[in-house]
Amino acid sequence: MFNKKKQDKEKNENKDQENKEQQQNEEKPKHEPISPDKNQFLLDVKQKLHSPSDFIVRFVSDNMTLVYVDNLVDNKMLNEIILTQLHEVEEIPEAIHLKLSIPEVDVVNELNKFIGDMLQGAAIVHVNGYDQVVVAKISAYQSRGLSAPENESQVIGSQVGFNENLSTNISLIRRYITNPNLCNEKFVLGKQTKTSLSVLYIHGIAIEEYINTVKQRITDLEIEDLIDSSVLAELIDDNSRSIFPQMLLTERPDRFCDGLLSGKIGIIVNGSSMGILCPYSFIEFFQSREDQNLRWPIASFIRLLRFFAILISIFLTPIYVASLTFHYEVIPQPLLVPLSESRAIVPFPPIIEALILELIIELLREAGAKLPTKVGQTIGIVGGIVIGTAAVEAGITSNILIIIVALGALSSFTTPNYMMGNVIRIIRFPIILLAGFWGYYGVMIAVCILFIHLLRLTTLGAPYMAPFYPPRFKQWPNSIIRFPITFIQRQAVNSRNKKNDSEQSGKKVSK
Amino acid sequence: MKNTIYVGNTQQFNAFLLFYIVVAAQIGVGIHGFQRVLYEDAKQDAWISLVLSFVFAHIVVTVMMKTLDMFESNDLYGIHLDIFGKYFGTTLNCIYCLYPLFAFIAIVINYIEVINTWVFPYLSPNFLCLTILIITIYAFTGGLRIIVGLCFFSFFFILWIPPILIIPLKYSDWNFLLPILDNELKDIAKGVLSMTFTIIGFEIINVIYPFVKEKDKYKRYVHLGLLFTFLLYLAILLISLTFFSGGQLSKTIWATLTLFSIIRLPFIERVEIITICVWLIIILPNLCLFMWSAYRGIIRMKVISPVKFSVFFAIIIFIANILFYKRSTINIYDKYYGRVAFFIVFIYPFILFLLAWIKKKFRKIKTAGEHNNEN
Repeated sequence: MFNKKKQDKEKNENKDQENKEQQQNEEKPKHEPISPDKNQFLLDVKQKLHSPSDFIVRFVSDNMTLVYVDNLVDNKMLNEIILTQLHEVEEIPEAIHLKLSIPEVDVVNELNKFIGDMLQGAAIVHVNGYDQVVVAKISAYQSRGLSAPENESQVIGSQVGFNENLSTNISLIRRYITNPNLCNEKFVLGKQTKTSLSVLYIHGIAIEEYINTVKQRITDLEIEDLIDSSVLAELIDDNSRSIFPQMLLTERPDRFCDGLLSGKIGIIVNGSSMGILCPYSFIEFFQSREDQNLRWPIASFIRLLRFFAILISIFLTPIYVASLTFHYEVIPQPLLVPLSESRAIVPFPPIIEALILELIIELLREAGAKLPTKVGQTIGIVGGIVIGTAAVEAGITSNILIIIVALGALSSFTTPNYMMGNVIRIIRFPIILLAGFWGYYGVMIAVCILFIHLLRLTTLGAPYMAPFYPPRFKQWPNSIIRFPITFIQRQAVNSRNKKNDSEQSGKKVSK
Repeated sequence: MKNTIYVGNTQQFNAFLLFYIVVAAQIGVGIHGFQRVLYEDAKQDAWISLVLSFVFAHIVVTVMMKTLDMFESNDLYGIHLDIFGKYFGTTLNCIYCLYPLFAFIAIVINYIEVINTWVFPYLSPNFLCLTILIITIYAFTGGLRIIVGLCFFSFFFILWIPPILIIPLKYSDWNFLLPILDNELKDIAKGVLSMTFTIIGFEIINVIYPFVKEKDKYKRYVHLGLLFTFLLYLAILLISLTFFSGGQLSKTIWATLTLFSIIRLPFIERVEIITICVWLIIILPNLCLFMWSAYRGIIRMKVISPVKFSVFFAIIIFIANILFYKRSTINIYDKYYGRVAFFIVFIYPFILFLLAWIKKKFRKIKTAGEHNNEN
């Protein structure tokens, strides 16, 4: 019942909200009336806009003036509908409002408001003698077409990614989730950019507390500009100084919808091809949407492989450094021989050797990412092979270390999330340093600090290490391996159903 | 009941986590070399001492929990204030706060000694102490939630020990355990006494009690925790007793580590070096819990921020480490610390329980008397 009412109201609410926000934004500049005189009106508008070169004025008839900003409006609509219909209509704003056959038309009597609309792609019709204008919203976005997500590619599954247009992205999501409970709340952020963004969640699945937290954090923000969603994610993070991301940035609509359906809250920012999902716990960063698409034993194997890869990526080089610097006795005799043979002509201590090689790999990676795609791969492969082989032959590194470092770099790319992959690559460096100075003890110091840090983190106030700590044993197996679909709990680790929770606590109280 | 501290629902944790807390608090540095001390007293019947000491521990824990249940949602410090009044109670609290401090020092110096002996002979003990303190402060300032989390995770770092002990089991000779009960009862009792240093830790429930969510079923988890450590210790002790000959064992300071050192896996040798380093994460919750229990006592007297307190506490530890760090002093320290701890952990709860019981009776009579007067 409640839901239905809410949906009926939803549209109105959205509109109201927009109006409110716009009003709020324009409260600071004074309420300025529109001049009824044609010339004065044009002067006012030009003065407001600092007479830009793409401001276009068209005199439709003696009394009617049409103004718009070039390239922001849909030219076809302008020519075929507005201009033709304006010739046939009575020259009163109300009449024009009724006559124009385009989806969104408005009558406005305030200067700042229609200028805001005009900058978002509206054509303005001014009639001489009236202090009202007709705002015809015929905005045309120049946005690229939908393409495959490049940073989060997967073999099996949908091959469509978000693009930079807010409405396209929301329509993509609505195509996946045809559910009236899917709530969409609009916000506008940034004094300069006035970037619009949408907070999406499914009413009844997402936890009210988290929704309020997200909304609260967004409304509390006072920023000058917002260009990308990753900036927003960092601004509304619980611990923005931590190296670990606490919200997922994804360009995959299917992953986004999967998150919404499991009770998460999504944010989509206009102009950014990455959607934000929160709350996201540590372990979920290592689960891929593709796991659901594969058969469960295979998906489980791949997931385990991924966890193993993360461990390798973080700890293999430090352990090599620590073992060869301090703990020779830990390595068994048969393994020690090839190790020392390959290191025989290397003049550096293992820590320098490892740092050099790790830096080279990072350089190659960064260069590969920045180079134009056509050269990028070639340079990457050639550089890798040439530098690798040459480094060994020149005697500055050992063969085995090259294997280890390459393995570590490779493993770090198995993380399904780019942000998390970055973290894993970077935290290796301090651990290598610690290992080089204090051996296994140093590695252990790093492990302790890492554990404590992860335990201290929260995501929207929920524990980051869930379900491992606080322990929810029922969710453990499904977090580590993937169960057959019928056994999977739909709720995400931090989005347990509120009802169950309150019932449980009610029981406790009554006891 | 007065002096009850208010603990919000968010600060509380589920009762089953007490299992991990008790295990984490008990297993510390003692496990590295408790066999020698036990063997010196009870010879081949050391395991009987171990069993007895754990039976004793179970009794003590029951008494402790009985006392705590008498005072609703109150820790030991509050109970002190309640029974002994403000001034004497505060004095007692002050004294009791020193106990975690000494425990902390004992763990730190013993662990540093192990590292210096086995892994890094030339690494400065002051540096090691400093790193341990920094990590502890970082964990401690996160609050109880993080400390309990560490207890929980450190449990999994203990789990790999039992399976790895199967390897030395191959070389053990069970005849070393015979003849059973050949020693005097006095010696076995002495063994119980010297077991103190290794077995203590569970007294943390005195302080952590108000933070347990389900007060009605927390007891079983404490007992389960004790049982787990008991089984672990028993396994290690039995393997040590059968693996080493008597003379060997009395000359081996860290018998558990020596046991580990014979293990040879296809890709790792000298497992004890890794064990010692991994032990950092096992003693960490231990240290945090002790620091925290001292903090709980201090804030009863003076409100102080956790950061300030932990830095102050760390400075004391650092100085103590400089003073005590020597094999001979460590031995003496352990011995005296063990005795004090024996009194505090094993004897004092009975006294406290008695006093609390008398106080309660007395109060009942008093209130009853008042009622009579009114009537």
